[in-house]
Amino acid sequence: MPDSVKINQSTIRLIKGDLTALDVEAFVFYARPDLALGSGFGNAISMRGGSTIKEELEKIGGIKSGEAVATAAGELKAGYIIHAAGPAFHEENIEGKLLITMENALKCAEEKGIKQLAFPPMGAGFFAVPLPVCAKVMIESIKRYLSGDTGIKEVIICAADNRDYKSFAVELAAID
Amino acid sequence: MTNKKRSHQAEVLIEGMAEKLNRQIVGSLVACVHCGNCTRSCHYVLTNPDDPTFAPAYKADRIRKIFKRHFDWTGRVFPWWVGAKSIFTVEELEELKDIVFGKCTNCRRCSINCPMGVDYATFNRMMRGLLVSVGIMPEGVAVVSKDQWEIGNQMGVLPEDYIDTIEWMSEEMQSELDDPTAVIPIDKMDADIVYTINPREVKYDPRTISDAGKIFHLAGENWTMPSEGWDMTNFGLFSGDDALGGAVAGRVYEKAKELRAKKIVISECGHGYRSTRCEGPNWAGMDVEIPMESSVITMLRYVREGRIKVDKTRNTKSYTFHDSCNNARSCGLFEEPRELLNLVVTDFREMYPNRSENYCCTGGGGAMSMSEYTPLRLKSAKIKADQLRETGAEVVVTSCHNCVDGLTDLIKHYKLGMEVTQLVNMESEVNKGSGFNVSIPRRSIALSSNDFK
Repeated sequence: MPDSVKINQSTIRLIKGDLTALDVEAFVFYARPDLALGSGFGNAISMRGGSTIKEELEKIGGIKSGEAVATAAGELKAGYIIHAAGPAFHEENIEGKLLITMENALKCAEEKGIKQLAFPPMGAGFFAVPLPVCAKVMIESIKRYLSGDTGIKEVIICAADNRDYKSFAVELAAID
Repeated sequence: MTNKKRSHQAEVLIEGMAEKLNRQIVGSLVACVHCGNCTRSCHYVLTNPDDPTFAPAYKADRIRKIFKRHFDWTGRVFPWWVGAKSIFTVEELEELKDIVFGKCTNCRRCSINCPMGVDYATFNRMMRGLLVSVGIMPEGVAVVSKDQWEIGNQMGVLPEDYIDTIEWMSEEMQSELDDPTAVIPIDKMDADIVYTINPREVKYDPRTISDAGKIFHLAGENWTMPSEGWDMTNFGLFSGDDALGGAVAGRVYEKAKELRAKKIVISECGHGYRSTRCEGPNWAGMDVEIPMESSVITMLRYVREGRIKVDKTRNTKSYTFHDSCNNARSCGLFEEPRELLNLVVTDFREMYPNRSENYCCTGGGGAMSMSEYTPLRLKSAKIKADQLRETGAEVVVTSCHNCVDGLTDLIKHYKLGMEVTQLVNMESEVNKGSGFNVSIPRRSIALSSNDFK
């Protein structure tokens, strides 16, 4: 199965790795509307990135579900973090809400002039978005966005383990 | 019929229940005859004798009534007759949360004492998982689960910190043994043993890693530690989230396979042992061919085979042994730790009841991470405190990191003045150097509920 697919002038690339340690222009953090970093990736952002990220988030205050906001990435290798608040815990219309969240995260990156953006499996895992749904919606959304007029040249999907990786590999292989 | 509107979360929970019902759970849901035997086995009931809401049968009925209303024909046709009742509001779900997380440690003592074979702990765990799936859970459960999903271990230890700690312990080991070959190998291919640990060891008690390392080294073991997939604990067991259980266990199995290790050895941890060795393959949906064993069995084998030598006469304190519920009741691991302990101490005092009838440390089932229930937990710990006090022992030994924390907390609360340690610490001390110098086991580091915040 391919680990990357070309869409117009852009690439979708699938990797297995450590999201918050990636040397990329920006990565997406699946946030809560109150923008608290919390545990998991939030803990890694706090530990590796330092306190300035939290301070910037506190100034922003919060976002609505489905929205995305960018902050600097402190001492992380990435330049920016896109904080996107998506659906969680089997709430109604997961697919529709995840699509909106994806679109807003991509637009937010575009507005910042970001050309390389990494995503985790959005909402899968702790937030209980079913992995097959997550993979299908994410690939569909990224494909649609990159098919349009965009400055984003590379979208990376960063799987935490083989379980995540396999689900995305199947969806990636299905791209025409 | 009621016209009460059901919340979306309650709808999802009921739909999810349909998927979770298997023969074991349905058998347990229909078999209860309310004989009351479970009340005599539960540490919550024994320490709250005037409150019937702690009885396992009562708690089970909170779940059973939903099952009857939606999945049992008697409850669908005659709900008033069989006590069937649905669930509607978020407040009702919150009440259920306080029962299944706050009033039960899933210790399974009631399960093995039920003459009808009702396994309350199993469907209590099922309900935990259903509540977690709709986002209703204690804050500590959320924190720990998210760490394990996203960082790969339940204490959020970053990869660089894990590697740093292993390298540090490797240096300590070299220095202590004065042997440059005494190192902790990381990601060594084709090792006979891949050693997996609890993140608590990295974060709060790293000397247990070097203690184990010393034993492996002195035994001449061909061993390694993995750079990832090293956390053999599994919060999925506590939260009821089978997907988390499968993801975590899968990472351990896949890494061991990638390293072509011949065996996975699981450090002393009750729920880690049960999750990795017993439940994990089912959660992960994997055929796991690599054998797995507790480090207790590994250490005992070294002594039996003469690969390490011990001298019990050098250790004259009085010791008792606490059986972890997951090790003893759920996995039958209770004779080997006693055999090993008796090989390294002269004064062993059995605790009663023991083995599969032992009482929970009262910090099981993830209770140590749920600070909102701490007063209730410590009150219920009186039964364990009495058990410990009656032994008259100076030191309680256990083969479970979670029990170390639970016991340490209750020993402090009830002012028992006992030390808590694990077999790996004792055996390593006994084997230190060539002269069998026995020193007093290190007191374990107390871990408070706040550490999970």
